[in-house]
Amino acid sequence: MPDLGLEVLFKGINMQRLLEGLWVSMRISLISVAISMVLGLLLGALMTRKNPVIKVLTRIYLEIVRVMPQMVLLFIAFFGATRVLGIDIDAEAASIFVFSFWGTAEMGDLVRSALISIPKHQYESGAALGLTERQVYYHIVIPQTVRRLIPNSINLITRMIKTTSLVMMIGVVEVLKVGQQIIEANRSSSPNAAFGIYLTVFVLYFIACWPISMLAKFLERKWN
Amino acid sequence: MQEYLPLFTKAMWLTLRIGWMGILLSIVIGLVTALIRHFNVPVLKQITGIYIELFRNTPLLVQLFFMYYGLPRLGVSISAEACGVLGLALLGGAYMAEVFRSGLESIEPIQSESALSLGMNHAQVMRHIILPQAVSTSVPAFIANIIFLLKETSVFSAISLMDLMFTAKDLIGLYYKTIESLTLLVIFYLIILLPVSIIGSIIERRMRYAGFGA
Amino acid sequence: MKKKNLVKRIATLGLTLSLSAGLLAGCGNSTGAADKSSDATASNAGFRTLDEIKESGEINIGVFSDKAPFGYVDENGEYQGYDVYFGNKLGEDLGVKVNYVSTEAASRVEYLQTGKVDLILANFTVTDERAEQVDFALPYMNVALGVVSHEDNVITSLDQIGEDDQVIVISGTTAETYLTENKPEIKLQKFDTYAAAKSAFENGTGVAWANDNTEVIAFAKENPGYTVGIEELGEKDTIAPAVTKGNDTLKNWINEEIETLGQDKFFHKDYEATLTDTYGADYEDTLVVEGGKTE
Repeated sequence: MPDLGLEVLFKGINMQRLLEGLWVSMRISLISVAISMVLGLLLGALMTRKNPVIKVLTRIYLEIVRVMPQMVLLFIAFFGATRVLGIDIDAEAASIFVFSFWGTAEMGDLVRSALISIPKHQYESGAALGLTERQVYYHIVIPQTVRRLIPNSINLITRMIKTTSLVMMIGVVEVLKVGQQIIEANRSSSPNAAFGIYLTVFVLYFIACWPISMLAKFLERKWN
Repeated sequence: MQEYLPLFTKAMWLTLRIGWMGILLSIVIGLVTALIRHFNVPVLKQITGIYIELFRNTPLLVQLFFMYYGLPRLGVSISAEACGVLGLALLGGAYMAEVFRSGLESIEPIQSESALSLGMNHAQVMRHIILPQAVSTSVPAFIANIIFLLKETSVFSAISLMDLMFTAKDLIGLYYKTIESLTLLVIFYLIILLPVSIIGSIIERRMRYAGFGA
Repeated sequence: MKKKNLVKRIATLGLTLSLSAGLLAGCGNSTGAADKSSDATASNAGFRTLDEIKESGEINIGVFSDKAPFGYVDENGEYQGYDVYFGNKLGEDLGVKVNYVSTEAASRVEYLQTGKVDLILANFTVTDERAEQVDFALPYMNVALGVVSHEDNVITSLDQIGEDDQVIVISGTTAETYLTENKPEIKLQKFDTYAAAKSAFENGTGVAWANDNTEVIAFAKENPGYTVGIEELGEKDTIAPAVTKGNDTLKNWINEEIETLGQDKFFHKDYEATLTDTYGADYEDTLVVEGGKTE
C-alpha cells in the first residue's frame, strides 16, 4: 500500500479544520441562495412585464452574468469595488455579493420561464370559473411555478457550493485553503499529504453536493 | 495600458487553445457516455454513472488540484496544460453526457420502431431519425454548457497556467495596476465569450424552426 | 408593492451597472488611473490610525498562512512563525487582539491600499517600487534572493539555465521582479501561492526555484534531495512591516516599538523560538535585524 498521505488528517484538529473550511463554503452558498431566491422571484416577475426599458436592462444584466466568469466578478468585487467606489468589503462579503448577483440572474430567468410556461388558457379557464385574479395566481399559477422551480433552484445550490471553491482565490480561508495550509505545515513529516488532502477535499465536496443533486433529481421526476 | 496588451493576447490564446481542446474532448466523452447509457451497456453503464455523479458534484478547481498537485505524489505526473485539457474534458463530458442523454430520451421509441419496420437498419435509424432530432433538442443546453466550460477555464490560473486570470493577478502583484488589469480582464473575456453567446442565441433561434415536429 | 420591487430592482441594477461603467471609465481615463499618487490618495480613506485601531480593540495583520517557518498555520489552527511571533508581540503591546488575515504575495500591496488590513507582516521585502505604494517601518530581517535546485542537477549560476528549462517563481515576489528585469530570457513558471509552488517543485516541475534565500534554504534543509546552489543573488535587502501609505501614526508607533524591542534582543528570541528548528543557530546573526539597524 503506497503512502497516501492521509495520516495528517488525524494530527491535531486538522480534520475538524477542514470541515470548518467546508462550512465556510456552505455558509456563503446558502446565504447567497437565500438572497438569490427572493431577488430572483422579484426579477422573474419583473421580466414578464412588457416594459421595453425593463426588457433592455434585464437583458444586459442577464448577459453580463451569462458571459462573465464568476472568478472575474469576484476579483472586480473584491479588488475593483474598493478602488472605484471606495467601499471596502471583506472577502466573504464580496463573495456573497457576487454569488447573489449571479444567483439572482439565474433564478430570475428560471422564474420567468416557469411563469411564461403556464399556458394562457389556464388563466382564462380560472377566470371563467369565477376565480379572482388573486385566486388564479394562488391556486393555479403559483403551485405549478413552484413545482417547476424547486428542482432547478436546488440544483443552483449545488452549483453555488461548487463555485465557492473559487473564493480561496480572493483570500477566503475555506476548505481548499485550509488544505493547502495543512500540506504546507506538514511538508517534511508527511510529504504525500498533497495527495491525501486534495482527495479528502474532493470527497468532502462530493458528500456535500451529491445528496442535494439527488434530491433535485427525485423532485423533478416526482413532479414532472 | 497598451503595453500589457501583448501579455493579455498571449494569455487569451492559451485560454482559447486549452478551452476549445477541452470542450472538443468533452463532446466526444459526453457522446460516448450518453450512448453507453442510452443502450444500457452492462458494466460500462454503472461505471459511467459513477463518473457522471463524481464530476458533476465536485468543483473543477478541486479536480485540478488533485490531478496537478496530488497525483504526482503517487508517481503520476501530468503537465499543467494536459491537466487543464483533461480536467475540462472530464468535467464537460459529465455535463455533455446528460445533455445528449436527455436529447436521446426525448425521441419516442415508436419512431425508431417505425423506421426499423420500414426496413432501415440500426445505424440508419441512428443517423437519419434519432441523431438529427436529439441534436436539435439538445442545442440550448449544449450551448449553455459550452459557455459554462469556457467560463470555467478561469480556474486554470490555480495550476500555474498563464491564462487571462493569472496575467491580471500577476500584473496587479508586479506593477500594482489594479484597475487596468481588471479592465483588460473584462474586455478579453468579453472577446472570448460574447461571440459564442451571440452565435449561440442565433443557432438556438434557427434550430427552433428546424425542429422536427416540435 | 409592485412599485417598491421595481425601485429595488432598479437600484440593484443601477449599482451593478455603475460598477461596470466605473470600470470602463477607469479604462478610458487611463491617465487618471495610471497616476499613482492620485490613486493612493483615493484609497487612503481606507486606513485606520493608531487610535482607531486601539479603540476597536483589534488589529488586522496580513501574514502568509502557507510559508513555514515565517507564517503558517499549525495543526491546531493557530498562526505560527517568525512574522507571527512579532505580530503577537505588537498586539500584546498595543493592548489589542490580533486578527490574522491570510494573504498571498501578489495581494500584499492591494490589501494595504484598500484598507483590508492595517499592517502587513508577510515577509515583505523593502524595494523602491513597493515604497512608492506603501510605507515601510524599520526592518526586522535581512534577505537576499536564492536559488534552490535538485541535488543531481545543481544550479550554481543562472547561466546554467537552458533555453527549455523553467524556473519556478511566486507571483508578486522580488524574485519574479528580479528575473523579469535582469534575465528576461529565462522561462518562468509562476505560481500564486507558496503551497502550490513547493508542491509543483517537489513534483518535478522546473529545474530550480528562485525566491528569498531564507525560504529556499529552509526548503533545502527540510527536504532531502535539494541543494541551494545560489545563496545570494542580486542585492541584499531587508524585510520590514508595511502600512498603508500615509498611515504615519501606526508606522511611527511600530518604529518606536522595534527600537524598544531591540534593547532586549527580541528578534533573537523570535529567531530562537521559530527558526532554530529549521536553520540551526548558524544563520541567527545573518538573518536577524535588531532595533531596526542594519550594518
